[in-house]
Amino acid sequence: MTRFSKKNIASYLSLCFLLVFFFSCQKEYQVEQSIVFDPQKDHEEADGMYPYDWLSTYGFFEGDLKSLNPSQELIEYEPASSLFTDYALKSRFVWMPEDSKAAIINDKLTLPLGSVLIKNFYYPEDYSKPEGKRRIIETRLMIHQEKGWEAFPYIWNDSQTDAKLKVVGGETTVSFVNEKGEDQVINYLIPNKNQCKTCHNENEKLDPLGVEVKHLNHEKDFDGRKINQLAYWTEIGKLEGFEGVENHPSMVDYSNESLPLADRAKAYLDINCAHCHREEGPASTSGLFLSYEQTDPLKLGINKTPVAAGNGAGSHQFDIVPGKADESILVHRMNSTAVGVAMPEIGRTSIHQEGVELIRAWINEMK
Amino acid sequence: MKAKYIPFFSLFLLVIITSCSETSNEQLFDSSLLEKRSAEEVEKVVEDFILAEDSTTIEIGEGFFDLKTQLILDSKENITIQGAGMEKTVLSFRNLKTGGEGMKIVGKNITVKDLTIEDAPGDGIKAQHTDGLTLRRVHATWTHGDKSKNGTYALYPVQCKNVVIDECIAAHSRDAGIYVGQSENIIVKNSLAYGNVAGIEIENCDNAEVFGNTARNNSGGILVFNLPGLPKSDGRGTKIYNNKIIDNNHKNFATPIGEGPNGNTVTMIPPGSGVVLLAAKEVEVFDNEILRNKTVGVAIASYQITGFPTDAPNWSPYTHDIFLHGNSYDRSGGFPDLSRELGQLVSIYNAHGKAKTQDIVYDGIFDKSRGNSIAQNPMNICISEQGLENLYFTQFDLSEGEENIKSSADVSPFSNCQVNVTTDVSFISSK
Repeated sequence: MTRFSKKNIASYLSLCFLLVFFFSCQKEYQVEQSIVFDPQKDHEEADGMYPYDWLSTYGFFEGDLKSLNPSQELIEYEPASSLFTDYALKSRFVWMPEDSKAAIINDKLTLPLGSVLIKNFYYPEDYSKPEGKRRIIETRLMIHQEKGWEAFPYIWNDSQTDAKLKVVGGETTVSFVNEKGEDQVINYLIPNKNQCKTCHNENEKLDPLGVEVKHLNHEKDFDGRKINQLAYWTEIGKLEGFEGVENHPSMVDYSNESLPLADRAKAYLDINCAHCHREEGPASTSGLFLSYEQTDPLKLGINKTPVAAGNGAGSHQFDIVPGKADESILVHRMNSTAVGVAMPEIGRTSIHQEGVELIRAWINEMK
Repeated sequence: MKAKYIPFFSLFLLVIITSCSETSNEQLFDSSLLEKRSAEEVEKVVEDFILAEDSTTIEIGEGFFDLKTQLILDSKENITIQGAGMEKTVLSFRNLKTGGEGMKIVGKNITVKDLTIEDAPGDGIKAQHTDGLTLRRVHATWTHGDKSKNGTYALYPVQCKNVVIDECIAAHSRDAGIYVGQSENIIVKNSLAYGNVAGIEIENCDNAEVFGNTARNNSGGILVFNLPGLPKSDGRGTKIYNNKIIDNNHKNFATPIGEGPNGNTVTMIPPGSGVVLLAAKEVEVFDNEILRNKTVGVAIASYQITGFPTDAPNWSPYTHDIFLHGNSYDRSGGFPDLSRELGQLVSIYNAHGKAKTQDIVYDGIFDKSRGNSIAQNPMNICISEQGLENLYFTQFDLSEGEENIKSSADVSPFSNCQVNVTTDVSFISSK
């Protein structure tokens, strides 16, 4: 045997080794992907001691749980603009105890004690048929108790029969076909219970996000009838203090392309960012405030240097450089999935292309 | 400063070659030798944080905990988070897929002790809106060989009150190792910060004492900053004493190799900076060993030097009421930095000769409403070091712009005065 062929054998062997190595990695990866989460409810009494271990125990939905067919006592609601959560679709309901109602005082909406907000996160198999087969990932409950709001994440089992309370959160892989017919795979992260407050936070108290006057003061379809949501709540005796759409703040739907760009962009920033980026939110440390009402250019980030952005700043100097979206930290962070760079910090592992384009267009239009 | 000093580059090519900044990946110990805890044991820790009740202790045993989610202690009171020792309990956030920091704390009277935090994608420990925070023997570091992956702050109390950081170790942060921001009543003592861009930083804070620490091998040792546009605008009252601020010559890795500074002020810090005061108010720096920092021992600068906008409410870009005394200096750290504009300013325009390390520099930027001439010392900068005649002091004059930068070695306008800086941390010093 020549030296040459010996060398050949050596490289052949190392190739084999590499193949085995890759193969074993692949195998491990697959095992991780197919983790089974399929606990089934044995028995649980609805004894009024919240939280229950199982979603079905609350009795919010009638018939087959996964059809999410609301009981008579639930009111479906929808904010004008919605928070991006990895393209998940959401259905939202509020339940208020009998003989109690919500109130609007000085444009602030308060729900009665005992109220529960119910938010379901699901993915249709095919986004061109959103009513078709779907997989529900999680249902988050927020319960208004004596000591304030508290959040409870319920994770749906693989057989979609029920959802179980899991305070430590979780992780799952979701596959679907998007509206353009492309296959998508998302590594969906279910936040742990305390991460809920990363967003739902007003002065360090847990607080609902979408259930605000400005988000709800618009029309929605109720059984084929289009009516202002807050007017509807008033009509069915579940709200007082609503004085008509014109007399309260309202926010636009950012996805409505017929509306002015700046309004849409600020609506997008409000629902996606301002829960943290406002004076009462955890990102007050940054001095960057992104609520719909904000008009101070420095607070909106225009020619504002970052404070503790670290990697998040990329190679940029300012949060927003008017006319230069691609030199603006805001766009840089929305357009990243790297932990430590990506904003919002939790709630997404993919890029919201449409959102990035909206903010990019808005900044490029600025003078 | 937008000056590029390009003509000088060729002159200093030799200097660039011989003064390249060091980079370090020094670790206190090898955490991979610890026993790895099971997924259930890790989940138990997550659950303990979520379900914690007031006035209890969360004990975390020995071993390596591979966390996939954040540890958040939310709005609790009188809680102690107790590890088994810095070299025994390691919480690793290398596999965190979401969230800004490894451990997040909000509450009242919270103590964390005897553990290590590793490889958090954002910050190691962030405490916010916490009144009464003690971090004792907490070690936070990054173990990536590639430091560009490291997180922002190792230990990060922000918007807190009554903060004690004691016997902690903070290493390899891409921004500051120990960073206290927008807080009041602060002690940082007996701690070690190394391998960070900034060792210890006090930013927009009131009433802070930083003593008995070692800040070594960072790009900048100890920083006191006030940044514009924040809810807590100007901070005042900081004492920095009995610290060892040595060999802070680490490469500034806050931005990737080959990239210049971005909007984060720390990216501008020239390697080789001992103490940097920026838009700082009422700071006393005394009895420190400020040794072998190759660019400058103490830099006194106003925010205008950054070139960023200086218009912000309730905030002033000027540094004033500064008192330096009793510090020892050593200029033998090597040639000053040329990788950052502020390094170039010191290296090229100082009053003692090109490529000479400076002990103290002052940018000479002053508020015209406080005086007409720098000779009147309008900003009340007081330098009364022993053997001042042997120190290299430079006062710059940037009033004529980048084209005509002047400097002076005359320290006399600043040497015959004192500043009374008041701090009081007695009520938290027993913690």
